[in-house]
Amino acid sequence: MSATRRRRAAIALTVFLAACARAVPAGPGQETLEALLPADGAAPGWSKDGEPQSFAGEDLYTYINGGAEIYQEYGFRRVVVQDYKSAAGKSLSLEIFEMETPAAAFGMFTFKRSGQGRDVPLGAGAELEAYYLNFWKGRYLATLTGFDESAETVASLLAVGGRVEAMIPDKGDPPPLVASLPAQGLKPGTVKYLRGLLGLNNVYAFPSAHGLAFAAAVKGDYGEGSFLVVMDYGSGAARETAWAELREALEGSDRFEKARASTAQVMLFRDPKGRFAAFSPSGARIVFAVSSDPSVSLVLVAQSR
Amino acid sequence: MSRTIGRRDFIKTSAGAGLTLAMGKALAASTGAAKAKAPVVAVGVGDDYGKSAVRAVDLLGGIRKFVRKGSKVALLPNVQSRHPGSFTKPEILRAVIRLCKKAGASEIDCLSWQTEKQWEDTGLKAVIESEGTGLKIFERDESLFKPVPIPDGIALKEARVLAALFDHDALINMPITKDHAGNKFTGTLKNLMGLNSPANNRAFHRPNWKTDPDDVAHLDQCIVDLNKAVVPALNIVDATEFIVSNGPFGPGQLFRPRRVVAGTDRVAVDAYCAALWGLKPEEIVQIKRAAEQGLGQIDPNKAVLREAAVV
Repeated sequence: MSATRRRRAAIALTVFLAACARAVPAGPGQETLEALLPADGAAPGWSKDGEPQSFAGEDLYTYINGGAEIYQEYGFRRVVVQDYKSAAGKSLSLEIFEMETPAAAFGMFTFKRSGQGRDVPLGAGAELEAYYLNFWKGRYLATLTGFDESAETVASLLAVGGRVEAMIPDKGDPPPLVASLPAQGLKPGTVKYLRGLLGLNNVYAFPSAHGLAFAAAVKGDYGEGSFLVVMDYGSGAARETAWAELREALEGSDRFEKARASTAQVMLFRDPKGRFAAFSPSGARIVFAVSSDPSVSLVLVAQSR
Repeated sequence: MSRTIGRRDFIKTSAGAGLTLAMGKALAASTGAAKAKAPVVAVGVGDDYGKSAVRAVDLLGGIRKFVRKGSKVALLPNVQSRHPGSFTKPEILRAVIRLCKKAGASEIDCLSWQTEKQWEDTGLKAVIESEGTGLKIFERDESLFKPVPIPDGIALKEARVLAALFDHDALINMPITKDHAGNKFTGTLKNLMGLNSPANNRAFHRPNWKTDPDDVAHLDQCIVDLNKAVVPALNIVDATEFIVSNGPFGPGQLFRPRRVVAGTDRVAVDAYCAALWGLKPEEIVQIKRAAEQGLGQIDPNKAVLREAAVV
């Protein structure tokens, strides 16, 4: 083939590939996350500081070394990070995480919130803490970090957060499993939506993972030091298997002491911290409650069955 | 001065394999170190974090106990993110660099495979540059990591440690203590993952982020095993202000005990740090297992605590 023919063939191939690229529609999620970054002036006197950074999939490790696992457990797609600076020399960092589903975004939001901050009307749920703000909307979770606790910085977090929120069209609702927590006595801001053992391990330490292969779980606090967890296994059969494994693991553990109050449907154990943990199956779910008072654990379990 | 080092650069500048191996043996000296003598946990307390670091080291007997004249010293601060309370404070790094200079170190290098941006964002790079010491950032190229067998490793039989470490005579481990989503606590033990290759660190977690039902403590055991392969000469922990939620990355709730904690016994130091924010060391699996496997003393009654206020 002559040089001229090779050149023509190369041009034709380039044109063909470009046409193919144009033919692929930009469906939901195909747009760049950078489009959600507020422009300069999102808060008075604030502008972008440097270029955004983006990480997708396993590359999250480059950004969050040692802390990416929990995002992966919930279902992570990508993140964009942009710093902002104010005319007064203050700094703000914005991270927008795109999760796989709204449930994943909600779950990561509940994992990150302390429950001790202030609820603010932003997105589908938001909590403002001393120097940072988390909110979720649709399948997105935004974290804005100021570097001091001044009123100016906090106002800027809300202003920039508001601009991000306005660019996300879908609101999203918490997963239906959240409604399985009894409303009476539930402490505000304490709900944690879990998708795996890493999250669960932050709630309660089990002796093994047998019987804990739930599809999703939700935890809420009730009173001082008492909490309830509802684990959903997706089907009655899966739950049945899990219940048998969990029972065997707990009964076989030298760290958990079975209490006399146990029945066929409710297992009650004294855990290594001296608290009482009650477990009970219910349909496709296993519920468990932990409290220093065994009667509280049993009542919580009974209420949620 | 900072520079990013790739495989080609490293081969040019690295010492020969024999020397590397010899230094490796020295660095990974015996861990059956359940020493008869009670370990010392030294603590400087105050608002001047640099002075607190110096005071803590003084309480251990001074920097010359750990850094010999003419020696090459590797430093390992935590450079996680710019979020407050998630990285070792620059003023502590500056104080430690100056201590090493005072001891007559011929070379002082921070070693890392993390990004230069992280070093910039945390302010640590600026300290290194202003002190005229080294920042060696390595590419995530497996050939830059040296396989280190761990004969008594339970979950991890081989670590892959930054080969450049073995060109140094001493390692000073400089974590910030803080929360961790995976195992609740970060301290001296966990921080050594910053020297191990990212690919090897990935093996600390099971595929697809699933936990082996019979091995829920896999990550903790890998951390303990890694600590059998690498033994710092000294540990200096930033416990001044740190996150107690949303660790290790943050942002999270800040706790401010205003302490810098130093010691050679990683278990004793981590046990002290965990207790600072209300954790029971025996409930932190990595600390408990490290103690059980002879890496140090978990019982505070069997350690010597030296605390001093810094004004």
